[in-house]
Amino acid sequence: MRLAELGVRNVMRSRFRAIMTVFGVAVAILAFIMLRTVLSAWTVAAEVAAKDRIVTRHKVSFIMPMPAKYYGEVSQIEGVKETCSMNWFGAKDAAHPDEFFGTIAADADACLKVYDELLITPAEHEAWKQNRSGAIVGDALAKKLGWKVGDRVTLTGSIYPGEFPFQISAIYTATRKSVDRSTFYFHYEYMNEWAKTNMPTAADQVGWIASRVLPGKRAADVAKAIDQHFDSGDIQTLSQDERSFNTSFLGMLSAVLTALDLVSIVILLIMMLILGNTIAMGVRERTQEYGVLRAIGFLPKHLALFVLGEAATIGLLGGIVGVAISYPIVELGIGRFLEENMGAFFPFFRIPPLVMVMGLVLALLLGLLAAIIPAYQATKLNVIASLRKVG
Amino acid sequence: MSESDTQSKPQIIELKKLTKTYYRGSEPVEVLRGLDLDIEEGAFEALMGPSGSGKSTLLNLIAGLDSPTSGQLLVAGADLGKLNDTQRTKWRAQNVGFVFQTFNLMPVLTAAENVALPLLLTNLPAAERKKRAETALSVVGLGDRMHHYPRELSGGQEQRVTIARAIVTDPRIIVADEPTGDLDRDSAEEILNLLGRLNTEFNKTIIMVTHDPAAAERATVIRRLNKGVLA
Repeated sequence: MRLAELGVRNVMRSRFRAIMTVFGVAVAILAFIMLRTVLSAWTVAAEVAAKDRIVTRHKVSFIMPMPAKYYGEVSQIEGVKETCSMNWFGAKDAAHPDEFFGTIAADADACLKVYDELLITPAEHEAWKQNRSGAIVGDALAKKLGWKVGDRVTLTGSIYPGEFPFQISAIYTATRKSVDRSTFYFHYEYMNEWAKTNMPTAADQVGWIASRVLPGKRAADVAKAIDQHFDSGDIQTLSQDERSFNTSFLGMLSAVLTALDLVSIVILLIMMLILGNTIAMGVRERTQEYGVLRAIGFLPKHLALFVLGEAATIGLLGGIVGVAISYPIVELGIGRFLEENMGAFFPFFRIPPLVMVMGLVLALLLGLLAAIIPAYQATKLNVIASLRKVG
Repeated sequence: MSESDTQSKPQIIELKKLTKTYYRGSEPVEVLRGLDLDIEEGAFEALMGPSGSGKSTLLNLIAGLDSPTSGQLLVAGADLGKLNDTQRTKWRAQNVGFVFQTFNLMPVLTAAENVALPLLLTNLPAAERKKRAETALSVVGLGDRMHHYPRELSGGQEQRVTIARAIVTDPRIIVADEPTGDLDRDSAEEILNLLGRLNTEFNKTIIMVTHDPAAAERATVIRRLNKGVLA
């Protein structure tokens, strides 16, 4: 046995209290990891955005549409390589009314050129283009709703009220895990034809236009050229590279992100208080023993070592348990749920390895920090007073 | 039993005009009043006296747990009044073994590990520490209880482990504060026999504070304190 081992052994003096404290630290670390993963997942879309992709939208608001003719005009602007119009459709599968997924009307021909991270075979792409009511869906969505290629599904529109029958032409995967694999893409023309007949005010309009720029061209310059082109029109545009677009979208959530940051810090502080209380109770209960140790030759620094060793052990154990339980809970449970149900916001909900390491290190460091006052108190123990309690 | 007749032995404890004053608030309380006392090496002395007479204070001073207010306190060659807390702590580790009324063993350690505790402060290798702890436990008759935890031992056995811990560093002095106070008669007899053996066979100087006249009878010298002075 060594000196440091004594502190470690002390952890199991009061097993129930030690287990509950370790569990408390573990829950705090789990909450910390979960919140940091939310923050990471939320910002990952901005971080992995294509640098040569521009999104053009109505200057006033993202939710206001633009004339469909803008789509053709954007493609003519110098520096633009490919363009694709998109409309948020907002529909649900009547067979799964509680399941939310993105439904986007797009130019089937151009869509996969602009979003080349969406993968289907050329044959599947051709089949989609040939089928007016064809749709491609992400593999995560298809798996969740049990859809296969060739299946017929009917979506009920909310923005465009009506029943829309579709046939699944392909199930797309993605080149990166950070791409949303829960979206339903179908032909813009299919929606527009319906609108011309049933909802003329919504016809011949596009929600946003995504473009890729030619090699050697700066996305910012091309975006500026697009906006200048529409400056004199009735409806002005706002074009941003995809990262700026995603960041501006995150900007709307900045208060939420800041709150999550603060909550994760508060959780760690609570963990520190729980741990500090446990250690302080242990020191108080062991006053007599520490008195005996001091009598037989142990110095104040040895007592501090015992106390800090005990706190570090509990902190580290709590950290290990917290990280261990975070994998099944965050990645296999909540993460899967969010990816399948809120893939547009959380396309890739996985715990970053750095967050796991942070969880462990913080559990250890905050454990030591929590024990500083009890350790100091132990060093200031009056030997005679504590021995008086003995005999 | 009264004064020892071993006058030729060297003095291990010398007290000259020793005083100890505590303060209760701003009011001084003089616990020891100019004590003069010499104790020979290898003595077995009992300190008796009513509560508040100063016997525990005297024991703490001799053991190096406290420093005197005035006077000289020479123990095992050290002038304890001139040592600071750290120096006294290191001195205690080398020169004094402690036996308390309540045993205060570490519950998470086995008997052998409890006994080896003071050796953690030395540079001895682990194997040597273990060997010495086993030897000390054998001396107190607990060679077959080395791997038992305190909760698995009787009160008398726990006190014997405490004594083994007190002798494992081979100190010259053993201080015992009411060592039989928490024990039944039979266990108390065992402990007193053991202290007697340590005194006679291993030449340990033993200073024992006790209220029990029967326990005090086992000492070679009985000293009585009353209101801070030796009677």
